Amino acid sequence: MKEKNWLKSYGLIILTGIVVGIAALVLTAVGNPKNMGFCIACFERDIAGALGLHSAGKVQYMRPEIIGIVLGSMVAALAAKEFRARAGSSPAIRFVLGLFVMIGALVFLGCPLRMVIRLGGGDLTAVIGLLGFLAGILVGVVFLKKGFSLGRAYSVRKSEGFMLPGVMVVLLVLLVAAPQLLKFSEEGPGSMRAFWIISLVAGLVVGLLAQRSRLCMAGGLRDAFMLRDFTLLSGFLAIWITITIGNLIMGKYNLGMLSQPIAHTQHLWSFLGMALAGWGSILLGGCPLRQLILAGEGNGDSAVTVLGMVVGAAIAHNFGMAGNPDSVVDGVYKVGGTSTVGMVAVVLGFVVLAAISVTHLPGKENA
Amino acid sequence: MRSKEPRLVISFHTTAEAMATERLCRQNGLEGKLISVPRSITSDCGLAWSAPVALREAIEALLVRHAVEAAGYHELLL
Repeated sequence: MKEKNWLKSYGLIILTGIVVGIAALVLTAVGNPKNMGFCIACFERDIAGALGLHSAGKVQYMRPEIIGIVLGSMVAALAAKEFRARAGSSPAIRFVLGLFVMIGALVFLGCPLRMVIRLGGGDLTAVIGLLGFLAGILVGVVFLKKGFSLGRAYSVRKSEGFMLPGVMVVLLVLLVAAPQLLKFSEEGPGSMRAFWIISLVAGLVVGLLAQRSRLCMAGGLRDAFMLRDFTLLSGFLAIWITITIGNLIMGKYNLGMLSQPIAHTQHLWSFLGMALAGWGSILLGGCPLRQLILAGEGNGDSAVTVLGMVVGAAIAHNFGMAGNPDSVVDGVYKVGGTSTVGMVAVVLGFVVLAAISVTHLPGKENA
Repeated sequence: MRSKEPRLVISFHTTAEAMATERLCRQNGLEGKLISVPRSITSDCGLAWSAPVALREAIEALLVRHAVEAAGYHELLL
């Protein structure tokens, strides 16, 4: 009986974590960048590039994984009769929060999901990101406990809920039928990609399972801190363990801080970038992956958040805010990281998040 | 091992409403605790209030009195 209850509580979320981990390993093995089988922030940034919203030539590709995640979530929600078109919970503020979550993630070089994938590859610079993410979540939890709210969403026409999945279908059609309209990187991370059908299927499976299990990096840590409930967090741990074991088996586990794939050792800004992403994710009610899942379920506010993240990615690259990985130039190790503009953007992000947090506490309804 | 028992689970539209319910119940000596909203209720991952079923009327009245809007009242084995 006890085993049955445990399985019922943790079985699906752990299975989802294992599948996400395996999918990330497979995608990397068949072409995606190292320690980047999945990365919601990086892949949305690549999509922004593919559409010409930024001109960073190394990060432009219409990533089918993102399309698959949204459509997989939509299919799962429709099949379970859980597709509910909702909107109206401070969409403009969610757009701005999504924008700064993306800037924070790109300063670090990865969303919370890639942070876990980097940890699973032995990348110890991601530990700094994890500490920052935890710090940001704790700040967000403080405001939640004080009553922070962006207001409730309301039922809206179904077409609102189908809007982002519809956009994803159009993007998929562009990739398959009219690729000449898109930009494709010829070098750098954007040029490293699995065959599109494999990427799409991986995204669909992850989207489907994440919708059923409610996998969320930020929600897992929020529940652990606020409720001592470790259910969602177990999915996070399952990804980490699966990736670690997979990399060890394939001889790709590289424990250390230096020369890690698409990572930098500018630790302070890794910490602060992920703190910004963590705080913003708590205010939004979910990490970047969760926003895609919610958008697939018909949540128009999450769709706006995703659009905010895409615009944030374009801004981050157009203004040189995104982190640069460490590199070796003429035999000399060169530390990467963000620019002064990126540092200013992160600080500005904290100011904006603080203002949003304070003005959405009880008693500030007219703020 | 703790056996399952019927519980009143109140779901909300926002986390803030769940937090407000916790505060109001504490102030009024009504037993209960915040939980992650059960998957059987919704695909959302917000917070819910879990309390003894016998307290339903008292909690409903309290929430109405303080204009805290619940999304739903459910009786579940937890």
